[in-house]
Amino acid sequence: MEDVQVVAMLVRRCIAGDAAAWEEIVQTYNRRIYNICYRFAGSGDDAQDLTQEVFIKMYRTLSSYDSSKGAFVTWVTTITRNLLVDHFRKSKQDRMTDSMDSTASDHEDAQPLSEQIPDQSAPPDTRVRQREVSETVHHALGKLSPELREAVILRDLQDMDYREIAAVLRVPEGTVKSRINRGRAELGRLLQRTYRQVM
Amino acid sequence: MPDRIKNDHTSNGIECNEFDLLLSDALDGVLSGPELDRFQAHARTCKTCGPLLAEAEAGRTWLKGLTEVEPPASLVNNILASTTGLDTQRLRTMARAPQPRVSWWEHAQASFLEPMWAIVRQPRFAMSFGMAFFALSVGLTVAGVKPADLGQISLRPSAIRRTYYNTQARVVRYVDNVRAVYEVQAALRGIKRNITPAEPGPAKQKEHKNDTTQQPEQKQERNYSQTGEKLILASAPLGPSNRDLPVVSVTTYRRFV
Repeated sequence: MEDVQVVAMLVRRCIAGDAAAWEEIVQTYNRRIYNICYRFAGSGDDAQDLTQEVFIKMYRTLSSYDSSKGAFVTWVTTITRNLLVDHFRKSKQDRMTDSMDSTASDHEDAQPLSEQIPDQSAPPDTRVRQREVSETVHHALGKLSPELREAVILRDLQDMDYREIAAVLRVPEGTVKSRINRGRAELGRLLQRTYRQVM
Repeated sequence: MPDRIKNDHTSNGIECNEFDLLLSDALDGVLSGPELDRFQAHARTCKTCGPLLAEAEAGRTWLKGLTEVEPPASLVNNILASTTGLDTQRLRTMARAPQPRVSWWEHAQASFLEPMWAIVRQPRFAMSFGMAFFALSVGLTVAGVKPADLGQISLRPSAIRRTYYNTQARVVRYVDNVRAVYEVQAALRGIKRNITPAEPGPAKQKEHKNDTTQQPEQKQERNYSQTGEKLILASAPLGPSNRDLPVVSVTTYRRFV
């Protein structure tokens, strides 16, 4: 993913006050962080704000990065994940006051998640259909619990290995695997029900 | 999932717990040999783990189908603006760095001339300048001033003084002439008034009291904030039989909400 020495040099230059080095870091990692935030938060506006917050935090704590303790991308992802958890906790109260539809997924006897996703009939245009499928999957991803969501995002969307994910989430690798399996299964169950008629 | 763990059992040599641990490896394609065979055999026979494998595989496929989203174009600029605006070690380091010396001419150019030139280059400024020039040239032409005459203007003090007195005398003559014209006009108007008979006066305003087509009705006071302590008399016709109608005192109360 990254050349450790190159990144370490980049970080050292940035700490020394090299503006170009900081810009290079921003250019390199903004897409990745934005995608994690977007898939977790679900909204583009939130993702943009969160990405900025991640970089502000990175900027302030860049000197605390120790290349001997792990890869820079793991450090960046950990910062992102911590901010996402904070964001989730802050917005949790707001969501609890939302309509029953948005909170029903938290209950065992709630309406099945697949029924909460609008069943969209396939339009003739393939591109439009692909976009709709993508939106449906994204919407379903938002229905997963945060623990399962972050695990599958890091594994299946960011292609991180289990050891890195365990380091980011600060849980054992076995727990990571279990969460990924459960997240995938729940998502698959949800979308299979949704698209049963189409498929 | 909790039900699955509760009903944990051994089938084909592996337990459901072990199946759960191997599931991700199986989906990643790293399982092989007898371990893969046992895993697949368990998936075929276990009523809980078989569907779990299918669902997890489907979920993974859906997730892999998601493409990366493009960040907004302004994101990098916003990040750089929000981070470089902070008081950090980097900024302090930059502030300590020696600044290159600039001459007074470069300083003036950067702070005064370039902003001015930027304004002048705007199309609306050029349009305003053109309009002003056009208005000036039209004004001078109407006033009978020719550009060639401007070259012959003498700027000596005696010449300026003479021009001032000439102009003043011209203005005084003009005012005297106008005054004479007005006096003659006033005299003629007086003579005319004495000769012609008196005309009937204008119709009384009362006659047009109910005519709303000519004049707007006078404004009435409709201020509801006034106190209603006044006496209001009924506007009944005062015929001989109604002349002794009692005066009714009506009091309105202001509503406080």
